[in-house]
Amino acid sequence: MPEPETETMTELPELNPVIHGKLRLALLSLLSAVEEAEFTWLRAKTGATDGNLGAQLLKLEEAGYVAVEKKFVLRKPQTLYRMTQAGRQALTDYVQALKRLLGSAIDG
Amino acid sequence: MSVDHEMNDLARQELTARLNLIESMIAEGRQKTESWGWTFVLWGAAYIAAIVFANLGAPVAEWSTWGHHTLAWPITMISTLVLMFGYIGLVGDKGPKQPETTMGRAIFSMWLAMGVSMMIFFVAAGASGRLDEHIYIAVIGAMLGTTNFASSMILKWRAQLFTALVWWTAAVVGCFGSLTQSLIVFLAAIFLAQIVFGVYGMISERKTMARKSGAVHA
Repeated sequence: MPEPETETMTELPELNPVIHGKLRLALLSLLSAVEEAEFTWLRAKTGATDGNLGAQLLKLEEAGYVAVEKKFVLRKPQTLYRMTQAGRQALTDYVQALKRLLGSAIDG
Repeated sequence: MSVDHEMNDLARQELTARLNLIESMIAEGRQKTESWGWTFVLWGAAYIAAIVFANLGAPVAEWSTWGHHTLAWPITMISTLVLMFGYIGLVGDKGPKQPETTMGRAIFSMWLAMGVSMMIFFVAAGASGRLDEHIYIAVIGAMLGTTNFASSMILKWRAQLFTALVWWTAAVVGCFGSLTQSLIVFLAAIFLAQIVFGVYGMISERKTMARKSGAVHA
């Protein structure tokens, strides 16, 4: 009886390197649960430093996964981040790829 | 254990950790740390204050929802509104602003719509002289019942469903009961649906906040 086919290494999905970074993954996951979030809220939830958080959010913005809006509220600067449709799709694809990889890691 | 097997184990752990991170961050994002139980207690106290001021000087046996001082209700309600938004403005300045969610906007919109509708209706009906105490209690009961019910459905919160039932009962008694009966049921509804429910909400919120505290380091 032929053995069931398992995914070969060449067929395994690649994980999106932009999302794969832990902090960027955490940020996208947080933003997926809300409509928009302030920089200070993201910092409070992730415990990241201002510099690191800003750098990772910039990478996500450059990849088109996050949109930024800067405005003044009662003369105080406010930076709001929102997940884009592309970001939502990328996160969904990443989760599916993770699950497929986990499945093959168990079978392997 | 072979090298391949060890690598596989490590890879699986790493991938599982990533999935767990996604789940925990989504849960963190959905977590609300705002507390609104105090607003129920505040408005319950405001209704009672309005009834007391309206009936100042009159024997208890003659007390009614409106009493003898016609400005008691409008002044108390407007003062409470100012107090509430003043406090929200003060507290809102501290700490990071909670992000907007669709559910949060829906709940806020419902209460805002109810507040605006009540204000328009009572001002217009009161000024036109077409409002009586029975209708007053019935409309308050119906509106608060509706908003609490809708909120309980959205939040899947059975305790708030109870408050809706209490207010609807007050609305029915307002239509059929005497002025004294209506006042008694109105006071009971304020106590149960505002004070008791508000305190219960505050305790639940404190417990939730105490359980989930601190940043999750990614």
